Amino acid sequence: MTREYEAVYIFDSALEDAAITDTLSRHHGLLSLAEEPKLDIWGRRQLAYKIGRHENGYYVVARFAADPSHLPEFERALKLDDGVVRYLITLHEHELGVTPERAEANAARLRAQAEEDDEDEE
Amino acid sequence: MRRNKKISPVLEAGIRFVDYKDERFLSRFISENGKILPGRLSGVDARHQRQLARAIKRARYLALLPYTGSKTV
Repeated sequence: MTREYEAVYIFDSALEDAAITDTLSRHHGLLSLAEEPKLDIWGRRQLAYKIGRHENGYYVVARFAADPSHLPEFERALKLDDGVVRYLITLHEHELGVTPERAEANAARLRAQAEEDDEDEE
Repeated sequence: MRRNKKISPVLEAGIRFVDYKDERFLSRFISENGKILPGRLSGVDARHQRQLARAIKRARYLALLPYTGSKTV
């Protein structure tokens, strides 16, 4: 059984881009994925607050379908990796929240209220 | 800071599920000091307020939003 996960990694921004892709694929190798993870590389950006000595981080978002039994080992590797400043693994739950019927009902309510609100906008 | 709006700003933005990675959207729902605005001020419906709260907390952990202080990222 696999589940859809989304992981965000913050790497040390001092690392070379090539080194980051290397460690990424090494860690993802631990998950024995059927498919390549989808990567969204944000690159370097400023952190909202300092994490230790880091003021900037190299952000990568990865999405993959993995077997939950591989996760503990994967997380352990991430924790031990000094190049990873922080990481967050979440269940990918996009679009799970609203059923199509509800989306339609919401849209209808929006239209009705938009008309009503026309005269008393803030 | 009372609003007459009856409509949820989340739905208005056409968002079905609140994304913790969208810090520009989330920053509309935190105060100057970085606190999560209560739903009664922001006009968000309860369901999305719960999603927002969780998304903001995740975004804080990822240093996309500040735990405290200015919004400037």
